Amino acid sequence: MIWDALLQPFADYGFMRRALLGSFAISIGATPVGVFLMLRRMSLTGDAMAHAILPGAAIGYLIAGLSLGAMTIGGLIAGMAVALLSGLVSRVTALREDASLAAFYLISLALGVLIVSTRGSNVDLMHLLFGTVLALDDAALILLCSITSLSVLILAALFRILVLECADPQFLRSVSGLSALTHFIFLMLVVLNLVGGFHALGTLMAVGIMILPAAAARFWATSVGSLVLVAVAVAMFSSLIGLLLSFHYSLPSGPAIILVAGVAYGISLLFGPSGGLIAQAMPRRHSEV
Amino acid sequence: MLLKSAAVILVLTVAGPAAAQANKPIPIVATFSILGDMVERIGGEHVAVATLVGPDGDAHVYRPTPADARAVNKAKVLVVNGLEFEGWLDRLIDASDFNGIRVKATDGIEPIAFEEGDGHAKHDDDEKHKDHGKQDEQAKDDHHSAFDPHAWQSLSNAVVYVDNITATLSKADPSNAATYYMNRAAYVAEIQALDAEIRAIVAKLPANRRTVVTSHDAFQYFGRDYGLTFLAPHGLSTESAVSAKDIGHLIEQIREQKIPAVFVENISDPRLLKQIANETRAAIGGTLYPGALSAPNGPAHTYLRMMRHNAMALAQALGS
Amino acid sequence: MITALAFKNLTLGYDRQAAILDLKTEIAEGSLTAIIGPNGAGKSTLLKGVVGAIAPIKGQILLGALSRENVAYLPQQSEIDRAFPLTVTDLVAMGLWHEIGPFGRIRRDHRARIDTAISAVGLTGLERRLIGTLSGGQVQRALFARLLLQDARLVLLDEPFNSIDARTMADLLNVIQRWHGEGRTILTVLHDTETVRAHFPHTLMLARQLVAHGPTAQVLTAENQFRARQMCEACEGPPHRCGRSVA
Repeated sequence: MIWDALLQPFADYGFMRRALLGSFAISIGATPVGVFLMLRRMSLTGDAMAHAILPGAAIGYLIAGLSLGAMTIGGLIAGMAVALLSGLVSRVTALREDASLAAFYLISLALGVLIVSTRGSNVDLMHLLFGTVLALDDAALILLCSITSLSVLILAALFRILVLECADPQFLRSVSGLSALTHFIFLMLVVLNLVGGFHALGTLMAVGIMILPAAAARFWATSVGSLVLVAVAVAMFSSLIGLLLSFHYSLPSGPAIILVAGVAYGISLLFGPSGGLIAQAMPRRHSEV
Repeated sequence: MLLKSAAVILVLTVAGPAAAQANKPIPIVATFSILGDMVERIGGEHVAVATLVGPDGDAHVYRPTPADARAVNKAKVLVVNGLEFEGWLDRLIDASDFNGIRVKATDGIEPIAFEEGDGHAKHDDDEKHKDHGKQDEQAKDDHHSAFDPHAWQSLSNAVVYVDNITATLSKADPSNAATYYMNRAAYVAEIQALDAEIRAIVAKLPANRRTVVTSHDAFQYFGRDYGLTFLAPHGLSTESAVSAKDIGHLIEQIREQKIPAVFVENISDPRLLKQIANETRAAIGGTLYPGALSAPNGPAHTYLRMMRHNAMALAQALGS
Repeated sequence: MITALAFKNLTLGYDRQAAILDLKTEIAEGSLTAIIGPNGAGKSTLLKGVVGAIAPIKGQILLGALSRENVAYLPQQSEIDRAFPLTVTDLVAMGLWHEIGPFGRIRRDHRARIDTAISAVGLTGLERRLIGTLSGGQVQRALFARLLLQDARLVLLDEPFNSIDARTMADLLNVIQRWHGEGRTILTVLHDTETVRAHFPHTLMLARQLVAHGPTAQVLTAENQFRARQMCEACEGPPHRCGRSVA
């Protein structure tokens, strides 16, 4: 009976299987990137990026009309430009990464609105640009899986240097010239996962899956590697349960998945052994040197 | 002699501008392209129509611009649909300090109440309103109307629209009232002819092939008029979010009732419908135009062309 | 004397404001030198120049035969993120970068050396503790352990004993002595003259310009210290007033 409730929907319907596959893909690709974003205190990047891609999408629309492909590629270029510029500014000036990103995404958004309005079109670009997990066609699935594979490979290769770059950038700069390159490759990964996620799944799901599981994992794991594993597990679990809730209780799918992740975060916040509220309140035996 | 010339000059000075005024087109603002098209048919060269939500635009999620406020401010007549189709309108009117005549095109029609049913997504603040035939009143609270606003999808309602518009134009510009009524008569004749044509076509469709799936719930009036059933994953507005249950339900229905066709719309993302079509044996029947005309080089750039296009597309998909 | 480090007419600073003016001197290889001077004398700036974080406005810094891999630097304020989920071992292991780079595996002999370094700074038993749970002194010890693993010929320390307890300081001074015994060149910015007198054979006194450089007993005199203060005060005004020697 439970079996039915859990598995039947996926057995019966192709769209549920694809939704699950797509959600798992983004959980594996984007969530680890989100862990690093969180560690670098850049968790709001996702939201900023959703606005930053507008001029790219607008130009794509101007060139090719209502072609989702053109708008997504345009959005990708705009996102990369914003990420690169803000990274560059934060490296060569005193302005920190969050402030420079805020500056550039706002400029980008304003530019985008301008471009759209001068054309005199009433088409709500943003509305059309963002997909939903229930409408994943083959192209979107291939896009997601490719991004995930690329992301996982790059993250695995850059793991140590990325950890160093987040934990002690000063030290990395003093021993290696790769610091700037790593920084930019990381930003590229962020933009890639986000824009691909927007196209396939919509902003809420793309950003939510990136950040919420990472935040939840913080309360369970004590090393970067285990943070990533726990976060991915939380993301996949939330996807599964969220889709089932959407199926059995007629809830919108994206919000359902993110809310489950949110509940996971709440539980972790309370009961997580590593810094959770209850763990903090309990007296601990110190084994101090 | 001098007195006579002075009198002539005086008359000309007074009558001149008045005559010129009678020739200058009246500025009118229509909220969306279908209304705009109707006003142009009736008003002809006597009106200058500005349309807020243009071709292929989605009025459900439209955001007005300062240019719109300026246009409304200068307008003598504002033509709106009503039934809370234009959720953004009240604020725009406040902002633009409009003091012309406002006409609600849906005055006098018999609206369809939005019922929760199969294939509809649950709308956000859904309340169960059970009154049919009740004239729509502007609800003061902020929740969505209980009535389906897509009344123009019925040609008989279109006649009511045209009547309301003609009456208002004549009130605003009495000197050309005769022309307006003449144009109205011609237009109504065309509308009724198209109505008869569509009825004939639909009558030929087999009884078990009268259900289709569209993107959002915009065709209830069309369905009521001609005896077709429309199902949709989105509810009354393109804004509402879809749940897996709704889609599963819809797929089941399509399979059970052997619904032959699924239609995408010019104003929404086709991917969801393609997903549904993929899982059933329904074909994508084409594009329907629920609430906006096409671009000038498209198949539905006037209201009548739009209605004909929709009917033909449906008939073709259901008839084959 | 083999020169490890040479400053040739060096003017160094930020935004074209000179923090150091026309410095000309050499650091011998294997020497243990303290850099002292009043506040604003340019001591930290000098180290940053050596490590390459700022480029000279005029003049040069010559590193002899040394490359970047051979220089280890401990900044005054480490920018390490204490909230980052890193253990002491992870932190210390960073010192192996010059050997294993971004992709190399940490083998058993590496692990042994990490453990040795950790015990050399007195942190045995804390290998698996998160750095966020350490005291200031413990973090400083861990950073020293990382420096140990870096195995550099030239070690630059910027006020390494700020806000740590006496016991830690004593232990770290022992590490410095060890390095000195191994023939490494060490430059340390300090402000406590007692420590300098007790442990550092050479001193370089800076007051934006060179005041004196040589054996500590000769450099660390009351006269020099007075001169240094005057030179710095003179430079508090517009830059062109600097450089006038005060008798």
